[in-house]
Amino acid sequence: MSEEELTFWEKLARIDRRVFYWILFIGLMIPFIHPIVFPIAISPSTRDLYEGIKEMVEPGDVVVMNIAFGVDAWPECMPAFAACTKLLIKEGAKIIFWGAYYDVDMTYQEVLRRCEDYFKNLKYGEDYVYLGYYPYQEAAVAQLAASIRSIFKTDNYGTPLDEIPMMKNVDKATDIKLVLSGDTGDVCDYYIRQWRIPYGTPVAEIGIAMLGSSYMPYYRSGVLFGMSVGVRGGAELEKLIGEPAEATIRMGAINISHILVVIAVILANIGYFASRRK
Amino acid sequence: MPYPTAPADVFGLWVAWLLMLMIYSYPLYKENPVFRFAEHTYIGVMLAIMLVRTSITTTINMVAPPLMKGRLDYIIPIVLGFMMYFLLSARYRWISRYPIAVLVGAGFGLGMRGVLIPNILNQVISTITPPATGAGAVDWWNYIYIAIGTICAVMYFVLTWEHRGAMGYATRLGRWIIMIGLGAYFGNTVLFRMAMLSGRAQFFLQVLKIAPM
Repeated sequence: MSEEELTFWEKLARIDRRVFYWILFIGLMIPFIHPIVFPIAISPSTRDLYEGIKEMVEPGDVVVMNIAFGVDAWPECMPAFAACTKLLIKEGAKIIFWGAYYDVDMTYQEVLRRCEDYFKNLKYGEDYVYLGYYPYQEAAVAQLAASIRSIFKTDNYGTPLDEIPMMKNVDKATDIKLVLSGDTGDVCDYYIRQWRIPYGTPVAEIGIAMLGSSYMPYYRSGVLFGMSVGVRGGAELEKLIGEPAEATIRMGAINISHILVVIAVILANIGYFASRRK
Repeated sequence: MPYPTAPADVFGLWVAWLLMLMIYSYPLYKENPVFRFAEHTYIGVMLAIMLVRTSITTTINMVAPPLMKGRLDYIIPIVLGFMMYFLLSARYRWISRYPIAVLVGAGFGLGMRGVLIPNILNQVISTITPPATGAGAVDWWNYIYIAIGTICAVMYFVLTWEHRGAMGYATRLGRWIIMIGLGAYFGNTVLFRMAMLSGRAQFFLQVLKIAPM
C-alpha cells in the first residue's frame, strides 16, 4: 500500500520510532532548563525507610551503606542514596561505605561531593570509613557478615582496620545497626539471605525503579524495613529531609517522558484498531 | 559542582559528551561506524577496568597476604581458578567442570540458607495476615486482591489437573494476575530507562553550560 493510500490513523501508527526518540530526548531536557516541579506524595515504603532510620539509629551506631550500583545508575539511585547518607549523619551514625561494583570509587566520591556540607564536619576513620570494592557477590556478602576483616584487611587507602578508630570493635553483622543497599541488581537479596535472616540485621533497599515490584513482597512481609524506588523514592526522601535537590527536578523529566509514552501508546493503539476495522 | 577548569577535566568531559552522542547516533539515526567505534571502545574499556580491578583486589589484597603468612590452604582456590581456563581447550575441557561444580554447589548451599524464611514463610504469613484494626478500604482491597491473586497465580502452574470447570476459571484469573504483574514490572523497567535517559539529557546540557553542573 502506497503512502498516499494510508489514512491519517494508519500513518500515525507507522510513525518512524526515531521521531519519537528525538521528541523524547528533547522533551527530557526541558525540566533541566526550566524546572517543572510537581507535588510529590510520600509512599509508605519510603516513609518507613525514613522513619526506620530515625527510630533505629542512635548516635554512635555503625551503619553499612552498600554501593551496588554503577555510574550509569546515578540518576536513579544517587539522589536517594545521598539523602539517606545525610539523614544518617544527622542522626549521628558512623558509616561504613563499601561496594560490589568495580567503579565503586567514583560513586563513593560522588556521595562525598553531594553531601559535602555534611562531611566537612566529620573525621575520616572516626565518623565514616571507606573499605572499597569486594568481588564475588553472595559469597563475599556472607563472609562479610561473619567477619569484615576476612574480606577487608585494610580500608581502601591501605590503613589496617585495627588502626581505624571506628572499626576497633566492629567485625561482624551483629556489630552493625542496619544495612542500606543501593542496588541495580540483586545484591540486596544477598544481604537479606546472609545478614537479615541469620543475624537479624535490619536491611533496607535503595533501588532502581525496575526493582520496585521485585522487592515489594519483601517490604510488605517486613523482611525489608523500608524501600526507596528509583528517582521517585529519591524525590520523596529529599522532601522528607527538607532538602529538595536533583531528584525533585528530575521528576519533572520523568513526568514529561511518561506523558509522551502514554500519548504514543494511545496514538499507536488508535492507529492499530482503525487499520483493523478497515 | 562547578564546571571543571583543569584542561584534563575539560578534555575528559568533552570526550564523554562526544562518545555519548556517538552511542545515541544509533537510536536517533541508524547503525553507523561512529556508533560501532564508541560501542567497542566502551566494552573494551569496561572489561579492562573490571579485569584489573577484580584481579588486583582478589590476588593482591585477598590471596597474597595470607599465602605469604604460610596459609597454604589458599592455594586450593587459586588452583581451582586456573582449572577454569581449561574451558578454552576442547581436549581438557572436562577439567573445568570440577571448579564449576564447586562454584554451583557452594552458591546453591549459600543461597538456600536464607531462602526459606523470607521467600516462603514470610510471604505466606504476609499473605494470610489481615489488615490491622482501623485499616482503610484500600488496605482491605489489597489484602483480598493479593490473597486471591496469589492463590490463582499459583494454581496456574498446577499442571497435574486439567484447567477445566472451577479450576479453569481460577487459572484464567491467575493468568490475568500474572500478566498484570509482568505489566507492572515492565512499567517499572520503562521508568528506570527514562531516568537513565534523563541523566544523559542533563549531562548533554551541562557540558554545553545550558544547565548547571
